[in-house]
Amino acid sequence: MKTPPFLLFAALLFWGWLSDFLIVGASLGALLEISRVVKLRWELDDTDFNRIWSFCVLLNIVLVGYVFTNNDEGGINAMLHGNTASAAAKSTVLTAIRFLRWLPLTTFAFLLAQAFNARPSVPLTAVSLVLRWRRRQGDRAFAGRYVDLSYPYFFVCVFAAGIHTNTGARIYFFGQCLLLGWALWVNRSRRFGIVSWLLALAVALPLGVAGMTGFNRMQGVIQNFNAQWISYFIRQRTDPLQSLTSMGRIGQLKLSAKIVIRLEPHQPGDAPTYLREASYRNYAAQKMTWYAGGGLKEFQPLAAETDETTWNLLAGKKVSSRVNIACYLNGWSRELEEPEGLLPLPGGCARLENVPPYMVLKVNPNGAVLAAGRGFLMFDALSGRGATLDAPPDERSTNRYDLAVPPNEIPALQQVIAEMQLPADAGDAEKRRRAEKFFSEKFSYSTWQGAEKRVTTNASPLTKFLLTSRSGHCEFFASATVLLLRQLDIPARYAVGYSVHETRGSGFVVRERDAHAWCLAWNRATKTWEDFDTTPASWVAIESQRTAGEEWLADVRSWLAFQFAKFRWRQAQFQQYIFWSLIPVMLVLLYFIIFRRRGKLWSRKNKTSSAAIIWPGLDSEFYALEKKLAARGLPRQTGEPLADWLERALAEPGLQDLRSPLRELLRLHYAYRFDPSGLNVEKRQQLKNEAAALLGKISAASAARNVTPSKNNSAASR
Amino acid sequence: MTPANLAAARETYHRIASNIAKIIRGQDSATRHLLAAMAAGGHVLLEDYPGTGKTTLAKALAKSIDAQFKRLQFTPDLLPSDILGVSIFDQRDQQFHFHEGPVFTNILLADEINRASPRTQSALLEAMGEAQVSVEGERRNLPDLFFVIATENPVEFRGTYPLPEAQMDRFAMQFTLGYVSAEEEVAVLTAQEHHHPLDELKPAATLADVIALKRAVEDVRISGELKRYVVDLVSATRTAQGVQLGASPRASIALMKTAQAMALFEGFDFVTPEQIQKLAVPVIAHRLVLEPQARFSGITARGVVEEAVKKLKVPA
Repeated sequence: MKTPPFLLFAALLFWGWLSDFLIVGASLGALLEISRVVKLRWELDDTDFNRIWSFCVLLNIVLVGYVFTNNDEGGINAMLHGNTASAAAKSTVLTAIRFLRWLPLTTFAFLLAQAFNARPSVPLTAVSLVLRWRRRQGDRAFAGRYVDLSYPYFFVCVFAAGIHTNTGARIYFFGQCLLLGWALWVNRSRRFGIVSWLLALAVALPLGVAGMTGFNRMQGVIQNFNAQWISYFIRQRTDPLQSLTSMGRIGQLKLSAKIVIRLEPHQPGDAPTYLREASYRNYAAQKMTWYAGGGLKEFQPLAAETDETTWNLLAGKKVSSRVNIACYLNGWSRELEEPEGLLPLPGGCARLENVPPYMVLKVNPNGAVLAAGRGFLMFDALSGRGATLDAPPDERSTNRYDLAVPPNEIPALQQVIAEMQLPADAGDAEKRRRAEKFFSEKFSYSTWQGAEKRVTTNASPLTKFLLTSRSGHCEFFASATVLLLRQLDIPARYAVGYSVHETRGSGFVVRERDAHAWCLAWNRATKTWEDFDTTPASWVAIESQRTAGEEWLADVRSWLAFQFAKFRWRQAQFQQYIFWSLIPVMLVLLYFIIFRRRGKLWSRKNKTSSAAIIWPGLDSEFYALEKKLAARGLPRQTGEPLADWLERALAEPGLQDLRSPLRELLRLHYAYRFDPSGLNVEKRQQLKNEAAALLGKISAASAARNVTPSKNNSAASR
Repeated sequence: MTPANLAAARETYHRIASNIAKIIRGQDSATRHLLAAMAAGGHVLLEDYPGTGKTTLAKALAKSIDAQFKRLQFTPDLLPSDILGVSIFDQRDQQFHFHEGPVFTNILLADEINRASPRTQSALLEAMGEAQVSVEGERRNLPDLFFVIATENPVEFRGTYPLPEAQMDRFAMQFTLGYVSAEEEVAVLTAQEHHHPLDELKPAATLADVIALKRAVEDVRISGELKRYVVDLVSATRTAQGVQLGASPRASIALMKTAQAMALFEGFDFVTPEQIQKLAVPVIAHRLVLEPQARFSGITARGVVEEAVKKLKVPA
């Protein structure tokens, strides 16, 4: 390794300290440093390095996959759902961060191989798949080029330590300065003195501090801008605080056929007509927007039952129906840094069961339940007739929110009420009946607003809807009805959610285009809020007409996403499952890598053995002699011919008198082995006999050699 | 046991070798290599620094054999026709007559061959490869004994062209003489005190003797196992690290034939692994083309061959 002693150890320790892998980091560093002490070395060739590198790369790919599928903020989940691009972007960033943090661990095998290899560098072709491929194509330009990876690995460690630092950026910064200073000190140019070197470092450090701070700020600015920008355009969800209507907008309203909610009633009759997400009280006529009033502060946290999966929304209320609802939470909670969204609930919902643990639920006086914790949610909603989550209208207060009507709409409303010819003594029920009848008889549903006439009046879109066009989408109907009821002194609210009507198997699917707005009317007799929908029933048919031909394809995708989400979010221990399932995969991979190597070795062996011919003369008695001589400590090298070896062996003083007979014998042996005409019978016998005779002599010489030193020793001791 | 022709051939070799040894001192191994190449029907390229005795060795050999000897000094302006010969119009009989060039001889000393342009160097290709010359569309055979001894200065020297690979491959061997020891050098001085000993060198063998020697080399036996060893050794250089172009099958043939000659010289009737190993470097190394990168990192062709010899399991 080119790095100075203990530099890599320090870097790994630093990384371990900052990323909570202290023991791992220390042991990895120690393993690398041991290679400086231990002289034991592997002899790895290029193909071995290729394999180890492949293994490291695979490990990294698996890790990326693992981290990516395990993102709490969506990850693959968000990708499948499509619309949460910001979540997808966020999860990609998180994936990269987590993956980079583990980099010193996942590439360690390669560096270890380098540290304990006889040649302390790795072939360039192993590191780059491109170069490897080019090498295979016959390009030999990079053959025989070796690189030392210890410094790159050092930088990887320092870099990875900086990601997700637990102990704060300051410690990381100074630690990093120390480590880099160390590395730079070793490699400093000797042309300059220590003072200049220190000065340069002293200049570089403040520059580094300034750069880091500036970079952080810039990142913050960009991130902010980015998040705002993306969230503004992409998130399509119900806001608990306001509902901007599309009233007065020209052209066709288009909502997609994307399935957003799946619903499974417990009993066939349990399915609700509406799933409400939120309701609003204040109408701002100029903006044509409904406001909940009160803001986020109005949301009060709910407490789960002790089993953490049951939430009592209305304690003590009798429930009669149960539906299972699966929905995605597409919002993002800035406060909790978790996915968040409004739950679509049937009217009169009193209890939630089988809600996944670790969720946070809040409720506001308008009956909206805000959930945060995971991107996908499946729960049972139990509901019954009667009381709802909504706070009753405060008719006594001066604000009288639930009876407020914007002044500019009053003339139109009065005109309509006159048209309705209400009896003077009509009760609430009668008023509602008349209103319903009025809307169904005189109004029609359309998403197309018609070309705006050039002659414009000051009339608001709602006034135009009430008096002239008498045609519009659900938001017109709902807004007009709320205001009409209020004008008739019935407290009313504007509700937003989904209409449930499309069956799929035993359950229902709710698409984005099934989004609906309707009216909540206060029933003074029962003291409950009741759903009051004046939109002509034809709207469902009209919206469905626009079904695109390839909707089934989108449905399949949605179904897949749903199945995945179900699998992913149902398992609280999902991460652990993936982790443990990866281990056998990695083991199989490792085995495969080793097995392939062995297979290759085998095949090589097989090839040579099949080609091997039994050459003549291999039964020569000379080999026994060779063995005997080799046992004296002079083994023959692979490429060393017998004659050269014999000269070397005979240089020993104990074998002086055996020289010429041994040389003669070798000649005979060579003739036996390499002369195609071979030996005749006598010569063959001669070879046999002389070899046996010489073998005896050598044994005797060996014994003498063994005895002589002991004699000398005893002489010396005496 | 030894056939008569082998014994006679060995005798011829010893006579020529000792004759050369009178002139060239301390170069027994080089002499043996030179004679092995000649006996094997190959050609020799001597690469060394100026003044180490390359030309003298060639001349000593030529003088030791009672054969035709021609010497050709290669210069940058030498043309192929200067080597092969040219047809000249004879005014007397109004016909073209071919005038044989210096290549039509038994022993040709191509001195400083790498000073000629590649074009001229290439003129020798056919002559060396097939012992024939095609001039003006007519094929002319060269004599039975045609032996080229080329000398060259190392390519780094000024005014030299590197030999084309194809030309290199046609030399059976390339070896260097090197500087001799101080004692040997003193002996050389003493020998040349009054006159050059080369002047009074008498031939030690006739042309017929040498041709008989060549025939005898063909009779030296070689086992299948050693043929395999030769092939393995040569092909090992093709896959060696840093080698752009490995040795050709022509190298295998040359290695086998020179090993046969060497075995004959050393008193064997058959080839042994030692002879192959000894000849591997002079026969193979000059044919290898190394990658520039490998050359810069200090790998030499000689090193590649030595490594192959060391690594490959030798038959024993």
